[in-house]
Amino acid sequence: MMMLQHGSTQLLCLTASSGVPLFTRGASKQLPFSVIGSLNGVHMFGGGHGVVLSSCETEGGGKVVWRVFQDSMMLIVVSGGGQDGAGDSKEDEVRLQRLLENVWSCMVLVLGQDELTNVRNVERLKRDLRSCFSLIDQLLEDRQEGILGNLTHCADSLLPPNPTLLQDAVDGFAQAADSEFGCLIVHGRIAAATEKWWRLAPPEVVLLSALIRSLSASGSASCDYPVFLPQGSPTVAHRLLRFQLLPGADVCVLCGPTPSLHSAESGMVGRFWTPLVETLRDCLAVGEHSLPRSVSLRPDVLALLLINRETRRSVSCVRTSTNRPLGEPPLPSKARCWEILKLFYIFSTTRYFNQEETLCVSPEERAQRGNTDDFVLGFSHQPLHCYLVTEECKSYGLQTPQHQLFVLAPLSVPTFALRTVATQTLSDIVGATGF
Amino acid sequence: MATADARKCINTNVCGGKTEEDGVEMHGSDCESTSSFNSSDFSDDLEPEWLDDIQKNGELFYLELSEGEEEAALANANQGVATNHVRFSEKEAEILTEQNKKQRCASRTKGEPTLKRLARILRRKRRPSQRKPGAKDGGKENSALSSAPASILKNQPAQRQAVRVQQLKEVCVYLNPKRLAGPLCEGGGLLEALLGVVHRASWGRGLGDPPEVRQEDRLTVHGLIPNSPAIKCGQILIGDVLVAVDDVDVSSENIERVLSCIPGPTQVRLLLETLAQMDDGRAEDTSSVRKTKASPPVSQLVRLLWGEDTAELQMSIAHVPHIVMFLSLKLDSASPQEEEEILYQYPASEASGQLKGVRGIFLTLCDMLENVTGGRILSSSLLLGKQLVHVGYWKESNNLLVIGLPAERVPLLCLQTVVGDVVRTLKVMYGSLDRAFCQADHAPRLDHFFCLFFQLLIQPSRLRDGSSSAPPTDVSGTLFLDGLPAVRWLTLPPEIKMEVDTVLSDFESSDFGEMSEDFFGLRRLYAILGSCLFYKSYLIANHLPKEDLLDVCLYCQHYCLLPLASEQRVGQLVIWREVFPQQRASTNNPGYSQPQGRHFLLIVGLRHFMQCVLLEAGGCASAALGSPGPDCVYVDQVKATLLQLEVLQAGVEERLNAPPAPCLSCADWFLPAARDRLDSLASSSPVFSKLAGAVRGSSGGSRGRSLFGERARRSSPQRSQSDSGSEGQMDAGTSLAPGLSPHSTPDSGRKLGGRRDSLGSGGSEGSGGSGGLFKIPRMKHPNPFFLGTLKKTLTERETEEMYNTMKLTSGAENTLFHYVVMESVQGIFIAPTHREEAQLSGSIHPQLIRNFHHCCLSIRAAFQQSLPTRGRRAADRPQGWGLGPVKEHGVLFQCKPENWTDQRKPAPTMTYWVIGRMLLEPVPQEFYVCFHDSVAEVPVEMAFRLSFGLAL
Repeated sequence: MMMLQHGSTQLLCLTASSGVPLFTRGASKQLPFSVIGSLNGVHMFGGGHGVVLSSCETEGGGKVVWRVFQDSMMLIVVSGGGQDGAGDSKEDEVRLQRLLENVWSCMVLVLGQDELTNVRNVERLKRDLRSCFSLIDQLLEDRQEGILGNLTHCADSLLPPNPTLLQDAVDGFAQAADSEFGCLIVHGRIAAATEKWWRLAPPEVVLLSALIRSLSASGSASCDYPVFLPQGSPTVAHRLLRFQLLPGADVCVLCGPTPSLHSAESGMVGRFWTPLVETLRDCLAVGEHSLPRSVSLRPDVLALLLINRETRRSVSCVRTSTNRPLGEPPLPSKARCWEILKLFYIFSTTRYFNQEETLCVSPEERAQRGNTDDFVLGFSHQPLHCYLVTEECKSYGLQTPQHQLFVLAPLSVPTFALRTVATQTLSDIVGATGF
Repeated sequence: MATADARKCINTNVCGGKTEEDGVEMHGSDCESTSSFNSSDFSDDLEPEWLDDIQKNGELFYLELSEGEEEAALANANQGVATNHVRFSEKEAEILTEQNKKQRCASRTKGEPTLKRLARILRRKRRPSQRKPGAKDGGKENSALSSAPASILKNQPAQRQAVRVQQLKEVCVYLNPKRLAGPLCEGGGLLEALLGVVHRASWGRGLGDPPEVRQEDRLTVHGLIPNSPAIKCGQILIGDVLVAVDDVDVSSENIERVLSCIPGPTQVRLLLETLAQMDDGRAEDTSSVRKTKASPPVSQLVRLLWGEDTAELQMSIAHVPHIVMFLSLKLDSASPQEEEEILYQYPASEASGQLKGVRGIFLTLCDMLENVTGGRILSSSLLLGKQLVHVGYWKESNNLLVIGLPAERVPLLCLQTVVGDVVRTLKVMYGSLDRAFCQADHAPRLDHFFCLFFQLLIQPSRLRDGSSSAPPTDVSGTLFLDGLPAVRWLTLPPEIKMEVDTVLSDFESSDFGEMSEDFFGLRRLYAILGSCLFYKSYLIANHLPKEDLLDVCLYCQHYCLLPLASEQRVGQLVIWREVFPQQRASTNNPGYSQPQGRHFLLIVGLRHFMQCVLLEAGGCASAALGSPGPDCVYVDQVKATLLQLEVLQAGVEERLNAPPAPCLSCADWFLPAARDRLDSLASSSPVFSKLAGAVRGSSGGSRGRSLFGERARRSSPQRSQSDSGSEGQMDAGTSLAPGLSPHSTPDSGRKLGGRRDSLGSGGSEGSGGSGGLFKIPRMKHPNPFFLGTLKKTLTERETEEMYNTMKLTSGAENTLFHYVVMESVQGIFIAPTHREEAQLSGSIHPQLIRNFHHCCLSIRAAFQQSLPTRGRRAADRPQGWGLGPVKEHGVLFQCKPENWTDQRKPAPTMTYWVIGRMLLEPVPQEFYVCFHDSVAEVPVEMAFRLSFGLAL
């Protein structure tokens, strides 16, 4: 008998002070109210005794993670473990911690911090929070293949074949819209953005990309959406203008009261982007590979995730399997590759590599989730590379001062060659694109 | 404590003599078969010294340090002066009189070197007298009458010579200035409050002492305060005169000052003058024995095992949150009593009180989450202030065991293993958790059990303080090695192994003397199920089934018996208790059922040997009634076996001293820092400088065209640079041989060079390495990959010879730093011996080993995830998708020498792999290696090479 199915994740949101449930998302069957009450109750009870409960693990990979944000909002996530998240509990916990951070940021993004911290009318807040649901659901399901930013907090990027043209166009377009923040999103990944856009806090960039993806999925040609920046301006809203250039390619700017959506759409979109339609088509053709064709990957790379630790950008791709000679073990499916890539990323970063938390997380939040990196600190020497051989494939991760690279390779590649594969892949991509 | 100490001392003397005799006898007759050992030799003449220690329930834990060891412990305690003992000297006292308190503090912090120096001086002076305790006592007696030895009793007032028959005695007491025995009253001061000695200067004359003694100055004990250290130690008697505290002469003038210098809890040595007639009632010889052997300071661990002094240790970790609670899930709501649900709890510190306060969380979560996620709760993490605490759970029937540990000590990855091991140990000891916790009279024993448990996890260094050559504690190493379901094994040469096995088998057959059923025509008391033998913490023979072995080993681990034996601290160890072997308790194999008997564990240790015997009562032996204590016959028979085995000690020692196989390299050799040291060494010694000159001279040699050229290139700075920049140079890494590796271990060098002189110097800084270095190049096998031309110059035979020494890594030089192989089937693991590790001293290497162990924790956790976990958790863990079963996992590390001061050059770096590999075929094995980055290894190959080399 259990209330939560294996593999499902349920998110609970309550007010921190009074424990009034605000909303529940995820999982087909909502947890009974008594359970929600007790989950919140144990945390509050601990708080009264100077003990902050942060996570809990059960057999079979079940997990519960508690977080209180700004002393006002309590988020609890309950994961049923099982097929989906399981594996190592530690890995799962990091995923859930990230999820809670993202959900909170997303609530701030949509509603602004003031409304969340000074709750006057709970019923009204409940109603207002509905506007976040689509975004929260997207975060919860995390089904979109090839988008790892929610986890890595590095902006998923796409490296276009001719970046300078697009860069100039984005810069010019943003300038014309009287804004310093502009970006071009292709297949849900950032193809080009103004310098200021990259200066936003990495979680904000990731979240904005997610928002744009969900807006563009709605199918509208353009929209004007008020957003708060969770770290940059949590209390003052900006306008996010989004225009669809081609199916799969959107351009957005963050701006103040002017220009109006209509004037921008009629006046500027055509002017800047019509000449670049062919370039955009090329860009779309890059597709989910994220890498231009000029980059020749070694054939024995199944999937890769490359993170630039300085710019907090990431490129990732999974290659569709080319025809394999018979007799070899079957390669993992594409979806499975993404899954393994994610899990391997969490595995490596929780145990060996540093996560760049210092940049984007406030000190008190660091303290709250200090448990994620306690193991890394135990090493007296610096881990550089690591690899895993599992029954499905081999994974190799490496870290340099500037990059982190995670590569999946088929089992047929000898283990001792993995290092060469990885280092060559890194130098190939960096050499060809300057990423 | 007084009587206990005295008894220990007496025992030491008496039985020390006895065993020596036996030992001699043994040596004479070692060729005879076992049956010649008649137990009556051992039991009839004297009743065993441990007899009084047997508790009501039949359990016995008798530990006695060997005589030599007690002295060593004393000496070592003196060495540890800077950390936990405070000593006083004339000089120090002078300083204190002149300076005010603040300065004193300052001088203490920065004055550590002085203290050390003083300690050294003191030690040097004290040593000779300590070696002969008997002589010391005699000398002291004389000194009291004639002249005092200058070292101890400087400025002895002349009038003391006039005192009648007096003796000096040394008494060690434990003082804690933070916990004063009584309030500071004006009359007594610290003497009363801290030590508990009442001295009233005005009373002096009334006692009728000769008037020529200046009573005002002398610290006569006029009274003792109840519950004070003075009365607890039992050796300070009213009428004694306190002469010195830690070698500082004291009088009523300076005693307060001296005592006020004790900064924290410490053990101090008091020198007391006592009147001979005080001992009237006792036989003269016993009193002299007692005085000779006033309890010497021993390591905290031993004290803990003796059951002393837990409060002090506990206090020192009181600020670290840790707790164990056994909670009842079934609450009788009708009569809600305060804290009714707590069946057991330890400790009672403030930080743990906070955890106790939130037990409601644990109970609720345990109750609720099982319904929510469908699995029992395993762990939760909470923040106590700034400290992260992991809490592990173990639910059994209607009760819940909760163990909270600080995350900095026990990472979440291994929390479950730690909790699982505790539970299993408790089950082995008590049968079930319920039985362990729910019986009221178990509480003090559990307190002791968990005190040890937490001390070992939280401050292992403190426990080992007093012991010799305490290595810097390696918490991860302890967690990893103790967490392995295996025992450390030492491979022995076959002939020795056979003899050991024969002796054990003979013992186990229990077909001799009083153990034979024919002897009395009665059923024997116990059937011997099997035994295992440890030598210096290594398992050298095992005749127990794996699960039983693990049970026994968990017990030994928990009570730290293995490290104890490895340091020759054990004069005699006798442990007896009923145990509940887990495998036998849960008999579920169909067709065959284990006989329903009771089991007893007998552990006997003599010096370095320790034998654990599992006995069964019931079954084919007579059933046990009540709670029988140890049977002398069995104990003596084990002792006899051990004495018989001592003949083989030389052989085992030889194995321990043998060069490590497979060869090991020291990490420091691969760093140019070591080379610098070599250079400096070379400049100081003409012979070396010539050699080094030759090496350096050819350093311009092109890429390894000649053997010496290659060597030189390796030691050139460019080499280290390229090593540090190994990114993207995988192939280059293979081609570049590591810095100073080629000499492999000094011992292999010895073997190759055919000389013995490098042995032994291996441990010393660099010189051992250099010894190997300058011998090997002549014989060194060239790198087959890159010196193809050279290879032809060596004949096949030479090549064979070259590889005679067992080398695990491929390539020309030995790049293996460390390894651990675990054989899951037999429940043993093999790792380089402590001595091998010690021989490869160096600054980086111990660090590397710590890092290796920490990494192994992670690797093993990754393996565990894909295996059905131990015990009950096997069945209901669904095979998660996750990353899938992990077969092999490796991590590449980079290390730099610490405090690199050279600003101009970047610090040289060395990279190495830590790789774990799990094999399920042909037998389940886990193996972990750590080797230098220069050779791309195929771990499977290494695994096979390693396991074939084991010759189990």
